[in-house]
Amino acid sequence: MELSEKLVTGKGRFTDDINLPGMIHLAFVRSPYARAKILKISGGLTSEDIALSVSSVGEGASEGFENLAHPVLAHKFVGYVGQPVAAVFSENQYEAEDMIDSVDIEYDPLKAVSDPEESINFEPIYPGLKSNTIVDKWYGSDFNPERSQIEIEDRFVNNRIATNPIEPRGVVAAYDGSKLTVWMGTQSVHSIRRGFSEAMKLPLESVRIVQMDTGGAFGLKGGMFPEYIVAAHLAMKEKRPVKWIETRREHLMASRPGRGVIGKVRLFADRNGKIHGLKGDVIVDNGAFTGGSGEFSPGFIAQQMAGPYKIDNAYVRARSVLTNKAPQGPYRGAGRPEAMYFVERMMDRLADELKMDPVDVRLLNAATEPYKSPLGYHVEASKPFLESAVKELNYRKYAGRENVGFSFFILYHATSGGESARILAEDGKLKVWLGGNAHGQRHDIFVKTLIREELGVDEDLIDVQKGDTDQIEDGVGAWGSRSAMVAGSAVVIAARKIKEQIQKKAGKYSVDKLLEGSWDSYEFYRYDRMESSLGANLVTADVDHLGRVKVKECLAYYDLGRVLDPVNAAGQNAGGVVQGIGQTLYESLTFDEDGQPMITSISDAGVLSADLVPKSSIKFHKSESDLPSRAKGIGESPTIGIPIALSRAIEVATGLKIRETPISPEYLLSSSGKK
Amino acid sequence: MEKKQVSIIVNGERKEAEIEPRMLLAHFLREVVGLTGTHIGCDTTNCGACTVILNGRAVKSCTVLAVQANNTKILTIEGLSRGQNKLHPVQKAFVDKQGFQCGYCTSGMILTSYWLLKNRKNVSEEEIRAAISGNLCRCTGYDSIVESIKEAQEMMKEEGDALEHEQEITVRSKR
Repeated sequence: MELSEKLVTGKGRFTDDINLPGMIHLAFVRSPYARAKILKISGGLTSEDIALSVSSVGEGASEGFENLAHPVLAHKFVGYVGQPVAAVFSENQYEAEDMIDSVDIEYDPLKAVSDPEESINFEPIYPGLKSNTIVDKWYGSDFNPERSQIEIEDRFVNNRIATNPIEPRGVVAAYDGSKLTVWMGTQSVHSIRRGFSEAMKLPLESVRIVQMDTGGAFGLKGGMFPEYIVAAHLAMKEKRPVKWIETRREHLMASRPGRGVIGKVRLFADRNGKIHGLKGDVIVDNGAFTGGSGEFSPGFIAQQMAGPYKIDNAYVRARSVLTNKAPQGPYRGAGRPEAMYFVERMMDRLADELKMDPVDVRLLNAATEPYKSPLGYHVEASKPFLESAVKELNYRKYAGRENVGFSFFILYHATSGGESARILAEDGKLKVWLGGNAHGQRHDIFVKTLIREELGVDEDLIDVQKGDTDQIEDGVGAWGSRSAMVAGSAVVIAARKIKEQIQKKAGKYSVDKLLEGSWDSYEFYRYDRMESSLGANLVTADVDHLGRVKVKECLAYYDLGRVLDPVNAAGQNAGGVVQGIGQTLYESLTFDEDGQPMITSISDAGVLSADLVPKSSIKFHKSESDLPSRAKGIGESPTIGIPIALSRAIEVATGLKIRETPISPEYLLSSSGKK
Repeated sequence: MEKKQVSIIVNGERKEAEIEPRMLLAHFLREVVGLTGTHIGCDTTNCGACTVILNGRAVKSCTVLAVQANNTKILTIEGLSRGQNKLHPVQKAFVDKQGFQCGYCTSGMILTSYWLLKNRKNVSEEEIRAAISGNLCRCTGYDSIVESIKEAQEMMKEEGDALEHEQEITVRSKR
């Protein structure tokens, strides 16, 4: 049965659908305090039983800071509300949850800090630490602006957002005496295998990760979490399969949310609108432990902050600060939306300052030649693209209207590291595995297209498999808008290799020879460069007298290179548009002054329903990449471009300066921020 | 905990079991009956992944106790297909128009759409969006779901007698 038919008939197989004989269910006793000393624990499995810490793998993984690694179960201290302190288990889920009450924990609560800027000068949240600032680096070089130049400055905040896939995290672990097998929804079976191997000090070959149907991920499901390690530990100790499925409330307190970044930017420009320099200060809300993306994010954001523009001088400070909240993790865009928000909102500021059209300011500063930004990243020649975007989005028709916003950005794809693919011809069919694992992006569609083209095989005979470390040797992961580019290229090369195998052994290639024989081809397509592509959005929105925003049009013009599957590409756009609107208007994780989470349901967290969003539309720019798949990525484009353009549309509609996402109706009703 | 006897007709088959009174309908369907197509997403009646049809009404089975569903008729996603390998028009439309990406919200989304199209004729896009506003999808942005429902509406119109057939499906014993 085709994947589509399985999913519409309830025959998908998600992690929670696994029911193994003798399986035990796991539940966690979590910290009710954001910061406390643990005085005493009685009952449950504790850090005495499992004295391990969570390994950091996957997208934006940490490189150091072992002393700040997340303990699997809290040891002496807790750093955020929801941190796992003890684990209990039973034959069924209801009983396991009852057993939470059997564990007694005495805490000595301490003053918590949840605001990253406040945390910079707050007492260190753990003993033995000198400061809560764990990353403090500068990018670019300092410069002195010329006297004639104007100088504008502003500060922006992208608040934290829960990734909120509709399927929560979950894991089933089993041990047969020599091999640990883990079934789960994931973006990367190989990252997860490395994660188990490192955290539990097991040889790689004694861990097998099998991907289940994966109900959305958005960055969440590429990394390791404490609950997974407890499940595996217990499975090995009890010699019984163990299941743990996250509740939504656990997701909101204790998974890894994204964003949570503050950016201060100062632009130096001449009176004609030409920018000569940029200075910035980026502060990432890391949360209480390392292991998420909090160490990687500040530098990643800083290096992108020239945007798609030619800026000769730039100097950006990039910091990450501990707070008493769950660790930051990647969320669709993962640093890209923040960087572009900071630089793009300043383009609008500059336009307002000079009373210029915002797109004219962008055209004036777009790069006419490719160049290396002083902050580190390569910027492609962006002006020709912007000129076509202006035409394709019909911007001049909208220019000057009091409800339109425009964004122009560069999407840096996570292509470096490359990706793998395996094609197996057997019993008249082809089975295909990718190193990065789909969690809703329908990789099966582009894989079939590419293999049909390379090998001439009918798409009905191609079966794209879920991830399984026993079936494909190595791999990276599905994130960072990379799969069509690097996984697609690995598929192309694996297909060409299989063709060569046949030519060597059986003479001229034919589809019959392929399908009648048994052939196996594995390719790890190595790629070291970070590719990029350009995008633009145009958004119109109205704001009523109660501060309610009605988003009217969401138009996109993105460079996708070769468009492998236009329907699905439009689907990726539509999904990202709603997440972009969500970030701008509704989504956040808020905390009170004691670090208590104020958000306890998926709707409080701001995940949007169908009645609140417009239909989206996309036009493709097709400047093919040099990779064998000739594609470029799209996954993260809308979460970059929409918040910028929508914030601007609201800014012109209300006359209020927009500096923070989400934008609350209370703010839109206020007059304190009037221009 | 004292157990209670329940008798629930699920997709045309009577299911009887002794269960704890605190057991949720979603867990009864998934764990007692073994139909895992009903998914749990949020535990708080917000996301609608667990939507099933209870006596003709779309309900969220994560906040209905199984004992409350005693002596009712339930239709789950597994019961919507018409016999072997024959998709219901709503299911077929979701395949044709790619009305899902990850597929986790899909069962609930399809059953809410089924309920809508069974009870209302000629629904507009705006009405479709309002009707599925209790079902959250994090992947699609809803455009392809709305297109799927429009397509299903056309398919069901062409079939004409679809509504009567659906009435029958909830009581027919499936073998």
